Amino acid sequence: MPALIPDFQPISPLAPPALAPAACLPLVTRALEEVIAWRNGEACTVAGFLKDVRHLAGQLPERPFVINLWTDRYRFLVGFAAALIRGQTSLLTSDRSPHRLAEIAADHEGAYVLDEAEEAAASVLPTLCWPAPGSTPAAMASCAVPMIPAWHPAAIVFTSGSTGRPVGNAKPFAALWQCSRAAAKRFGFDGPLTASLVGTVPGQHMYGFETTILLPLHANCATFAGTAFFPRDVSLALSTVPAPRYLVTTPFQMDKFLAVKEGLAPLAGVISATAPLPAGLAEAAERAWQAPVLEIFGATEVGSIASRRTLDGDVWQAYPGVELQDLGDERVLVEVPYLPSGVELSDRTELLGGGCFRLIGRRTDIVKRAGRRASLAGLSAILRQIEGVRDGLFVAPPELETNPATRLLAFVVAAATDLPAIERELRRRVEPAFLPRQLTLVSALPRNELGKIPRDQLLRLVQSNPAAEA
Amino acid sequence: MTSLESGNAMPATDPALERQLARLIVDTLHLEIEPESISPLDPLFRDGLGLDSIDALEIALAVSQSFGMHLKSDDEQNHQIFANLRSLAAHIAQHRTK
Repeated sequence: MPALIPDFQPISPLAPPALAPAACLPLVTRALEEVIAWRNGEACTVAGFLKDVRHLAGQLPERPFVINLWTDRYRFLVGFAAALIRGQTSLLTSDRSPHRLAEIAADHEGAYVLDEAEEAAASVLPTLCWPAPGSTPAAMASCAVPMIPAWHPAAIVFTSGSTGRPVGNAKPFAALWQCSRAAAKRFGFDGPLTASLVGTVPGQHMYGFETTILLPLHANCATFAGTAFFPRDVSLALSTVPAPRYLVTTPFQMDKFLAVKEGLAPLAGVISATAPLPAGLAEAAERAWQAPVLEIFGATEVGSIASRRTLDGDVWQAYPGVELQDLGDERVLVEVPYLPSGVELSDRTELLGGGCFRLIGRRTDIVKRAGRRASLAGLSAILRQIEGVRDGLFVAPPELETNPATRLLAFVVAAATDLPAIERELRRRVEPAFLPRQLTLVSALPRNELGKIPRDQLLRLVQSNPAAEA
Repeated sequence: MTSLESGNAMPATDPALERQLARLIVDTLHLEIEPESISPLDPLFRDGLGLDSIDALEIALAVSQSFGMHLKSDDEQNHQIFANLRSLAAHIAQHRTK
């Protein structure tokens, strides 16, 4: 099996070029006859894609923001591209609850929704469904590849809502374009064969967006349009697409797919992100599927910034153009091409030079679960704001990082009779991924004279809690 | 066992299967509740038990092992199937092989 980590020198053709304020980049850099997606067993070519994009673009309302909820990845991609050529910005949220959509619309005046059905969850907002085939308006009927202003905010992707409202991260088209080019080289999607990507993560999540939606625009790969979540979905999906096949997934799902021993069509590679992949799991996957298991490291704020083959060791290689700056105390600032400002990584990081780094552990306040990130302090603050709560605390059990099925623990000081109402309110305010299985009622939290809870006291609290054993 | 007279091909409810499934969910997810406390029509996700997509995958695997069937997400009715204990039990009753 070849080692897929490239040499440590930045690859010069991939260095991000300087772009003038009015610069434009092509929407797609693929040949017209190449396949961009596989949908219901049929190939969608770049030429057909551009036709669909123009047709849809002609139907979009004159509004600045679009919440693209289409789960079919081909349609999602067409919706994203059509919005681009109309100068609109796609708002990407994996939380599609009516409550959350209303919040996004309140923050982005004039937002409308692309959804499967007009009467869907978003019915309070103007909603457009996939249009029936029809003639494309003359103004849109050109066959040239559309050029997109490089600095146009192509998408706003939201981070998790643990600290109140999710924060939007604007992505200029150039940043997405550069990331796709870097990933194409890194994962070998620049050869003569069109790779097939079967994704198990939603296109509305940053990782799924960059891999299963954006890569096919600029790399020689085609995305599987359908949903692949359960093991049987994945095996069926892989059986309908041609080799070389890549599974784009998460450690948790990989573990489950291996557990059911579902036979998969031969894989050329597995790509994993959203949580650290244990070496044992990577080894089991490589053995079972006879394909290299590659990991992407990133965050919603910065996108994908580095990769590694898990079994080659714990060193990450940054994508070309990504700058890492040592802030001291194991803190690292990341600067990504075409993003306006640097972002501090939430993990403790050791810089090794040459664009390489090692992750040493998470900062104690930040937890990741199901591809989302939250601050324990933020979650605790939400809990304490609930009526009837005298004191409250969210705690990450020690095994959270090694076992994805582990849940956060939460302790609350309140009247026992208020507990059901508090739990209901917490479910309303916190994403399911961060909800504890149950609130543990305690008479008091072991706070010291400064109001802080010493670490040894915290561990004692966790150990005395039966829910921690689960 | 009662049948819902809806005119559609609505499967009969199966309280025994619903109880078995409640036990399976509680055991699989290590829930700190009694299986009997899950009402057949309580939503399983978000507002009900507060389960998430990770739990959905866990449940799917347990269901495939216990009942010899596979859950698929391209099923148009997937949201309905996972809505509550009764709908999931009805789906299993139709498709189980053991």
